[in-house]
Amino acid sequence: MPIVINNSRRRFLQSSIGGAAAIGIGSAIPDCFADAAVFEGSGKDRILVVVQLTGGNDGLNTIIPYADENYRNARPELAISASDMIRHDADTGFHPSMTALYDRLQAGQLTVIRSAGYEQPNRSHFEAMDIWHTCRRKSEQRTDGWLGRFIESQKLSPGGDVPAIHLGRDQQPFALTSQSIPVPTLTSLKDFQLQGRGRESLQLLMKRTPASPSENELLSFVQSSTASAIQASDRVGEAAKGYRSSIAYPESDLAEKLRTIAQLIDAGLTTRVYYVQLDGFDTHAEQLLTHSILLRDWSNAVGAFVQDLDVHGHGERVCVLTFSEFGRRVKENASAGTDHGAAGPMFLCGGGLKAGMVGERPDLTNLLEGDLKHEHDFRRVYASVLQSWLGVNPDPILGDEFETLPLFV
Amino acid sequence: MDMQTKIDPAWAWQPYQPDESQPWDEGLAAHLYRRAGFGADSKMLHAAVKRDPSEVVDNLILRNSQPNEFRSAADGLTDTILATGNPKRLSAAWVYRLLQTPSQLLEKMTLFWHGHFATSADKVKDPSMMWDQNKLLRHHALGDFSALVQSIACDPAMLVYLDSAINRKAHPNENFARELMELFCLGEGNYSEQDVQQLARCFTGWEIKNKKFRKNRYQQDVDEKTILGQRGRFDGEEGVQVVLKQPSLEVFLAKKLCRFFVADSLEPSDKLLQPLAELFRGSNLQIAPVVKMMLSSNLFFSSHAVGQKIRSPVELVIGALRCLQATTNSQLVADGLLKAGQGLFYPPNVKGWDGGRSWINSSTLLERSNLVSRILENDATRFGGLSLDHFLQSQQVNSVHSAIDYFERLLLAVRLDDSVKSLLYESVASGTQKPDRKYRALLRAFLSLPQCQIG
Repeated sequence: MPIVINNSRRRFLQSSIGGAAAIGIGSAIPDCFADAAVFEGSGKDRILVVVQLTGGNDGLNTIIPYADENYRNARPELAISASDMIRHDADTGFHPSMTALYDRLQAGQLTVIRSAGYEQPNRSHFEAMDIWHTCRRKSEQRTDGWLGRFIESQKLSPGGDVPAIHLGRDQQPFALTSQSIPVPTLTSLKDFQLQGRGRESLQLLMKRTPASPSENELLSFVQSSTASAIQASDRVGEAAKGYRSSIAYPESDLAEKLRTIAQLIDAGLTTRVYYVQLDGFDTHAEQLLTHSILLRDWSNAVGAFVQDLDVHGHGERVCVLTFSEFGRRVKENASAGTDHGAAGPMFLCGGGLKAGMVGERPDLTNLLEGDLKHEHDFRRVYASVLQSWLGVNPDPILGDEFETLPLFV
Repeated sequence: MDMQTKIDPAWAWQPYQPDESQPWDEGLAAHLYRRAGFGADSKMLHAAVKRDPSEVVDNLILRNSQPNEFRSAADGLTDTILATGNPKRLSAAWVYRLLQTPSQLLEKMTLFWHGHFATSADKVKDPSMMWDQNKLLRHHALGDFSALVQSIACDPAMLVYLDSAINRKAHPNENFARELMELFCLGEGNYSEQDVQQLARCFTGWEIKNKKFRKNRYQQDVDEKTILGQRGRFDGEEGVQVVLKQPSLEVFLAKKLCRFFVADSLEPSDKLLQPLAELFRGSNLQIAPVVKMMLSSNLFFSSHAVGQKIRSPVELVIGALRCLQATTNSQLVADGLLKAGQGLFYPPNVKGWDGGRSWINSSTLLERSNLVSRILENDATRFGGLSLDHFLQSQQVNSVHSAIDYFERLLLAVRLDDSVKSLLYESVASGTQKPDRKYRALLRAFLSLPQCQIG
């Protein structure tokens, strides 16, 4: 059964603080109580972390149908040899860079949806990305993204932690756009804490500042929001200082971002959705080395992240969804690369999963203009995540009914 | 809130006349400048209370264009920035204008229209198109709403933003037609889907080519359309005219202006808005008279309005800097405003900023305080050309206590409790730091207070 616990306890305690503050006894509440209030009630909801592989990941060289001679024929230069790859079963292997994620599969923490896509696939990066982000075609009105609609569906009280965070320096993904809730793009833990000279005394001052008895509802609202912001800053600061992990993250941007997310989750932020991107998958030329570096980067980072969350006791409530805007052409091109394609694999990694491979080996003899046909509409994966993981009705978010897949236990 | 039932529309929009119960003082003058612009320094407040409130409002309204000298200086800076091709730098050029303009209300209205006709550089990319739109908004900001809408309908940045750069007869693009009615003029529920489709046909053949608007007559649908009950062979301008004649327009705009200038949580009834709406229609959709009526009104100077808005990031930061005659690194401010949720030229979506409580969450609150800290630690930040402690001295402020009172008078819409004041005092007075550092710490603390987020 999906967990839909809202943070009623936390909110109750917070509003008690706000309420007490409003009648003038705010300063009488000891700090330890306020701390406990925020800490205890927070951090119970399930969390989705989206990793976007930007540029179009070559799915065929990620999850490899090595026993299929059509694969080798189509890729004289680029086919991964059976001896190099990680052999999964009699006809499927994983790219040799993906040891970390393969370990997660063995540990029951990885689900691969082999061929995800949609009807009449678009091969423009931007248009395809917009389709994945909004679940809508160009001819339809597109004002928000699927995750934006999800956070909109959550009855969040304003003033608390943000419902979603985009980490990185890249443009904010359309998927997070909603009608009314702005999602911050942040780059590091520093963005969650008071910074600058004299921050300790300011932090102290803000904690001690009593709320005046006020009939001004707006002021009471800002006062309680400030209290939670200061608490959040405190928690993140403590978490950052005290954060130890026996898991070694690789040295990469993506790993750094995921580590930051792990710290935020551990700090008890009530944020439900995190979004990161890894760019560079548009491998039109000399693909082998580039692709192998990118996959290693992604696999090692996600693998470390999921293990780290386990160590900190959050493994069961965090799931990582990885997708790319399209797969690549089955036949390699003349530059030892591949061009824009259609269907490709999606990955779920983390807690609550029915681990394993979902779907058939792609049929390389039945192509759509040289590209793989999809077996599962990507919105069925979204629907499953929304319903079984995030605990909401997917239909209004996806704009249609999509049958869920048995991806979660 | 059922406040509107208690507010008498006749009283609400009557000009405010100072009396003993509601005297015209520095508090109300500061309120007026905060709302009609970004804030007043000590000298301006001093001067304002010596005049009639109506005279002060008149002066704000009359400055409906930028003085030539200021304009050429600010435009020169903008041109340099346009050459970089980086729209984030363009935000800094606007920050410079916000900080320096002598025409505060004009700039505030330009910001209002930027949120109303929201267009983001995130999508448009090209800074020169964004800047042309900004000039357009400023040009009409206190002028004729019909002319403003007609210009926006042909604005390259807007049409690129709404994916309407191509509009063929066989596939009319409904996007602009829809937003024109839903977001720009009438509000949801005041038109049908059929109106959207019919209006969209009027705009066929309207295109953006090489960053310029043009009409492609081969793609123009010249057949008859029926829009909002009107029938004719309307072209784009005529389609806009049909929308502009709708009576729901004046109420829709009056409501939005009222929320922007008067109060966040006031949910004004149509009845309360009626005098504003009638004036707007009666003056052929001239913007200035409506704004003037609001800013001069009993309601505006009443407890329904004072301290009843959450300051936007721009209002907080630009306001504080202007009140203290400060200059600083505009790029630093521009980048911080984006992080705090109000990137200039970067509204979140076509609806613009929702404002009110949506400005506030734990990230944006922390960023407000951190941005203030970065500004105060930056070497380029000067107050009346001086360091903060020398500036305060020049204002006869010579102690932490008097600095607290000075900041309160200039920066706050609500009064501070004595207990908060003593905490503020303790937080900086105990240290052994130099005076300038002490005052900067105090100012940062001040601007981080919940009370300071209310304007």
